[in-house]
Amino acid sequence: MDSGGAETASTAAARPGRPTRSRAAKKPAPAAPREIALRLDGLVKRFDDTTAVAGIDLAVEQGSFYGIVGPNGAGKTTTLSMVSGLLRPDAGSVHIGDLDVWRDPVAAKRLMGVLPDKLRIFDRLTGGQLLYYNGVLRGLDRATVMLRSRDLAAAFGLEDSLGRLVSDYSAGMTKKLSLAAAMIHSPRLLVLDEPFEAVDPVSAANVIEILRRYVTAGGTVVLSSHTMNLIERICDHVAIIVNGAVLSSGTMAEVRGAATLEDRFVELAGGRRAAEGLEWLSSFSD
Amino acid sequence: MVEQFLGLKLRLLAGAFRRNPWQLVGLVFALLYGLGTSVLVIAGLVSLRFIDIEVARSAEVVFGAVVLVLFAVLPLVLGLDDALDPRRFALFGMSTTRLSVGLGLAALLSVPALVILLIALALIATWSRTGLSVGLAIGSVPVIVVTCVLTARIATSVGAVLLSTRRARDVTMVAGLLLIVCALPVVALLARVDWATDGVAVLSRIERVVSWSPLGAAWASAADGAAGDATGATWKLVIAVAWIGVLAAVWRALVAHALVTPPRQAARRRYAGLGWFDRLPATPIGAIAARGLTYWGRDGRYGMSLAIIPFIPAVMVVALHVGGVPLAQLALLPVPVICLFLSWAVHNDVSFDNTALWLHLAASVTGRNDRWGRLLPVLLLGVPVVVVGSMLSAWAFGSWAVLPSLIGVSGCILLSGLGLSSIMSAAFPYPTVRPGDSPFAQPAGGGSAAGLVQAFSFLLILALSAPAVLFGAFGLLGWPGWHLWSLVAGLGVGLLALVLGTVAGARVYDRRSPALLAAAVRN
Repeated sequence: MDSGGAETASTAAARPGRPTRSRAAKKPAPAAPREIALRLDGLVKRFDDTTAVAGIDLAVEQGSFYGIVGPNGAGKTTTLSMVSGLLRPDAGSVHIGDLDVWRDPVAAKRLMGVLPDKLRIFDRLTGGQLLYYNGVLRGLDRATVMLRSRDLAAAFGLEDSLGRLVSDYSAGMTKKLSLAAAMIHSPRLLVLDEPFEAVDPVSAANVIEILRRYVTAGGTVVLSSHTMNLIERICDHVAIIVNGAVLSSGTMAEVRGAATLEDRFVELAGGRRAAEGLEWLSSFSD
Repeated sequence: MVEQFLGLKLRLLAGAFRRNPWQLVGLVFALLYGLGTSVLVIAGLVSLRFIDIEVARSAEVVFGAVVLVLFAVLPLVLGLDDALDPRRFALFGMSTTRLSVGLGLAALLSVPALVILLIALALIATWSRTGLSVGLAIGSVPVIVVTCVLTARIATSVGAVLLSTRRARDVTMVAGLLLIVCALPVVALLARVDWATDGVAVLSRIERVVSWSPLGAAWASAADGAAGDATGATWKLVIAVAWIGVLAAVWRALVAHALVTPPRQAARRRYAGLGWFDRLPATPIGAIAARGLTYWGRDGRYGMSLAIIPFIPAVMVVALHVGGVPLAQLALLPVPVICLFLSWAVHNDVSFDNTALWLHLAASVTGRNDRWGRLLPVLLLGVPVVVVGSMLSAWAFGSWAVLPSLIGVSGCILLSGLGLSSIMSAAFPYPTVRPGDSPFAQPAGGGSAAGLVQAFSFLLILALSAPAVLFGAFGLLGWPGWHLWSLVAGLGVGLLALVLGTVAGARVYDRRSPALLAAAVRN
């Protein structure tokens, strides 16, 4: 990150005296069942003869911070692509509220902000142009787009970079810009695939704070990651996906039980592989 | 020190042969080809010994100047990787002079240096006429070899500095192509010279100028000696040797500069405002069009395909003119041809976005908006080209009567081409060069499907424009009334094709957009 110092300063100035981690501890369990913001029913996706997603059912309540964890190749990205309307499922359905993403895509996609992983963006635009492009395609007028671009840039610490080509950005800055672009039309639901990959710790704390405020205001966040600690710290609900199927889902407390999320995950995903056969590694060659 | 440089160079040369078998076969063929060419050239030079001295001298000096130009230009155009970049020796702490001498000598150990040595030796045979000329020819051998090798060495280093960024390399390749195309008129001019009668006169006129310049001096000295002009021969040798001094000084300065300059980085530009986005309306169509226009300027893949368009008709005109078609009639050709390639430029537009297309899906951009947004930049450029270009063509043709036909034909090609492109880019996208790759890179896959799609869309555009072309031809053949019908038919068919094409293209896009993204993911 080439402007880390400036970001720290601006982050601190944006929320004076607000402790970063206070909320995770005192978050109350939901009293009454809330509205379902996102529902996946029997979602299946096959590529040639491999089944990437083998019948996933999930229900995400409105206002929750929902983490999807799984090992590499578990089907997280495939699932989120089908949720965000980018990849057509072979079977099953995705509902945002009561809108079917694949039957009524225009209305459903309007409610959603998307951050895909490993897809390109129009990186020969400047940061400002990319935000504008996102906003206008989402139907915002020029004045609104300009205002929101400025606010988002300030919140994500990108003010000094809006005039530069996105292809010159670092990986973390690109991620932050894409995240800002996903929020520009103030969606009800954010679907974020690996939003913290390559983002430095200071920026990540800043992004988490933005997402928490969004959830507090009634928004819903669904994000995937393979960093257990991070998910455990920031999410109130979690689903563990292995080999394209949900092995466990529910509130964080339900899923992890007495152990940590990481222990529970390793247990579900097939246990730790004993490091046998590497004895030579500890008999150093000198 | 010098031995080490020479040894390094020898090992590098040997390393060129240590490849996989097929590359080796290719390399051997390339060497055989080079060897064959050299043998032919040397035979030609030796045969100059037996013809009239003035003719031999003109031919030899002009040939020599061309060789020297090639030594200067080829390293720049080919963008050779400089294995002995002075910068790589920066950390060894050698004196600049020793380094530049060592690297300069190492440059003598190369295939081009060997070729030029053989050529220079052949010149001894060419000028084996008098004692003076043989002596001068022998003395010229090191002068010629050193001049050529040092020139190539300097060009390689300058190239490595100038062309270190990808963008610069692309620009140079394009510039090189343009240079070749612009050289065509010269070739056409040369092709029109009646070599049998005027050839010698033309060559000797060139020779008289070139032989006094550093380009030709080294080659002309022995020729002057053979002609008995001892003073001229001496002066030309002095010029040639002094030029070596200049080259050596330039080379040393380049080495000194390279040692203290880090490799060039592409400058990170800042852009004020939103560019085209500020100028076009804040609607999906406007934004997509602004994005297209922005990419034309910033993405080498678009720049490349647009930059090449004006030169296709130029080549055609020159070729047809050399073939005997009068220039006035050829004036009718460029605008329709430009329109054909312009409208065809967007027939695979979706593929150029690669997976960035996801944004259009996530924002549920409608097919109609997507299609029109992609067409708009071409229309913004194409309509002025049709109007202004047709007027210029009619003026060059010498009759305003053809103006309606010109506008009809080229307008029809542009509009129907855009309509077809609209369907093509949604229905049959094929893999293309990925964003960020060089426009000259080969796309993964592609193959025969791409060729079929291209050929099919070309033929269809031509078929749709047939009525306008036919009526225009009637007009030219003596029924001027038909020119107006050509305009009507052209614009009518064109507009209809554009509207129907975008409607159909929009429908295909709406139905297939997830499939388009899936295809882009596979690319």
